[in-house]
Amino acid sequence: MRKTLTAPTSTPAPARTRRTWVGVLIGAALVALAAVSLLIGASNDVSVSSLAKGDGDALFLLAASRIPRTVSLVLVGASLGIAGLIMQMLVRNKFVEPSTTGVTEFAVLGMLIALVFWPGMPILPRMAFISLFALAGTWIFLRIIRFVPVRTLVLVPLVGIMLGGVVGAATTFFAYRLDLLQSLGQWSQGSFATVMRGRYEFLWVAVVMVVIAWLAADRFSVIGLGEEFATNLGLDFRRVVAIGMIIVAVITACVLVTAGVLPFLGLVVPNIVSLIIGDNVRRAIPWVAGLGSVFVVACDIIARVVRFPYEIPLSVVVGIVGAGLFLWLLLRRRGRVH
Amino acid sequence: MSMIRPLSALSLVAASALVLAGCASQNDAEAAAGGDAPAGADETIEFTFENNIAGEDEEPEYESVTVNVPKDPENVVIFDMASLDTWGSLGGAPVVGAPLDSVPDYLADFVADDAINAGTLFEADLLEIEAAQPDLIIVAGRSATLYDDLREIAPTVNLSSEGSFEETLERNTTFLGEVLGAEDEAATALADIEAQLAEVRELTAEIETGLSVMVSGDSLSALKPANGDYSGRNLRGGLVYDLFGVAPITDDIEAATHGEPISFEFLTEFDPEYLFVTDRNAATNEEGAQSADVVLDNDIVHETTAWKNDNIVYLDPTAWYIVFGGLQTTQIMIDDITAGVA
Repeated sequence: MRKTLTAPTSTPAPARTRRTWVGVLIGAALVALAAVSLLIGASNDVSVSSLAKGDGDALFLLAASRIPRTVSLVLVGASLGIAGLIMQMLVRNKFVEPSTTGVTEFAVLGMLIALVFWPGMPILPRMAFISLFALAGTWIFLRIIRFVPVRTLVLVPLVGIMLGGVVGAATTFFAYRLDLLQSLGQWSQGSFATVMRGRYEFLWVAVVMVVIAWLAADRFSVIGLGEEFATNLGLDFRRVVAIGMIIVAVITACVLVTAGVLPFLGLVVPNIVSLIIGDNVRRAIPWVAGLGSVFVVACDIIARVVRFPYEIPLSVVVGIVGAGLFLWLLLRRRGRVH
Repeated sequence: MSMIRPLSALSLVAASALVLAGCASQNDAEAAAGGDAPAGADETIEFTFENNIAGEDEEPEYESVTVNVPKDPENVVIFDMASLDTWGSLGGAPVVGAPLDSVPDYLADFVADDAINAGTLFEADLLEIEAAQPDLIIVAGRSATLYDDLREIAPTVNLSSEGSFEETLERNTTFLGEVLGAEDEAATALADIEAQLAEVRELTAEIETGLSVMVSGDSLSALKPANGDYSGRNLRGGLVYDLFGVAPITDDIEAATHGEPISFEFLTEFDPEYLFVTDRNAATNEEGAQSADVVLDNDIVHETTAWKNDNIVYLDPTAWYIVFGGLQTTQIMIDDITAGVA
């Protein structure tokens, strides 16, 4: 708080131009990476020259495979970043995101149940079903967190990771008993290898959630200051929390159904953005969305190139890069106040 | 969870080290009958196999193990579906124990009606097996790691792959034929399969290129030819190339149990003449039904030669993924390929 009070009087102009420049940089990186993403793939038909010539095969692959894949990467990156950001505001903790609060594990449990009882369920009802589980997971996490007496920075995600561990163990147990362990692994492993036209469109549901998050952005900033503060400002605290929970749950479910589990992303991206521009949600949303997209597109390009023309699972790349950044954030903070 | 342990260079020797051992009286009887000895109560067959003594996920390390197997055993527990297949096909009595949940329909008759559930393809219910007092236990591949526990209960043999698919099939069929006193049936069945394989290879020789893929969930992976390394992760999909002689579209596929992930674009780029599909969804989850055809029915696959020429061959998921071995199963596999490429 003190910082925001003093900042405008001391150094307003340079900080702002620096931010603008980083923003431009993220935008440029996204455009460049998206272009690379369009040109990389198992097929060699798509190249700058073949596209310029209007080659039929190249245009077909571009439309049927490359553009859907790149668009879905951008959407997943943006929405997962936003889900992390909202979650962090709800819990008032920098180290939470769906995969460190058990929400992802609840969603995977929902997916397993859907798989066992309604194997032929169409994708939209399945997504709604998984969303319900993710919602229950968020709710349970928030309830448990209330009873944690000392909310130190790392204790909250630790509780979340333990909750996720318990739910994950239950899921694994049932998958094991039902001989679905390998199928479950296959389904929840994050990968965009088979994304194509007609298989990614419901990701737009996640975009709707991002728009809602953006519209309600100021409210999330306020609840990030605490329940009493928010109520004093005349905000319906519970309702805003409920909206936030729904946003997080639906985004988690959309991404799980389309691509699988991509860990750490919702944690790393908002933290980096917060380092650059601070904690104002409305201002942070486009940044988080942009940086999240850059992160996922870049990781997917690595996943496609390492064993070309085969692919390695995207979640492996995201996990390695994300875990590295997570550690960096953690150690960097400990060096300071806590 | 590796499936079938790799072969050591010496295993061919082991495969041929199948000998009839017997006491003096048996030799006399044999001499008198001038052929097979009649089944006696304490008559045994000596069987030698290479057992992997390294732990899971470690570099395999083999030790030669010789087991005295009773002839014509009454109570038999079989963990390996391929062995169950050959056992039953050679006229063995229905087994008293097996991983019941994994027995495919076409092998159901080979299991006794009141058989105990011995566990899963990977794990054993030791108490149940102990109570059933078996005379012989057979493990292989997925269940090979159970060997040390099971040998405490009853004579146990590990029929894991040693050498190529055909070498393993020949060794196991010959061995089970001797155990059952059905040597002639075993030889006939093997000769029949060899002859059919030769016919199928003539058909596949006319195919220029093929690619074997596995569909799991929504994703797609390419399977690899064994190139002489017949460890478990190369089996199954690799059989399309190794056993049936289909020329792979590319040799550069990393060995992996479930193949290497590929995109649909991969199919258009390499564009094999034939696509051989193993549907893992259907193999492991019967209610899910054949979903590989739904996964493959899309704009990009429609552009491939295999789709345009209707050359997408769906392999029987149970035979190719769960069992892959055994006399009846090999017949199913032969029929699959014959029908696919004819």
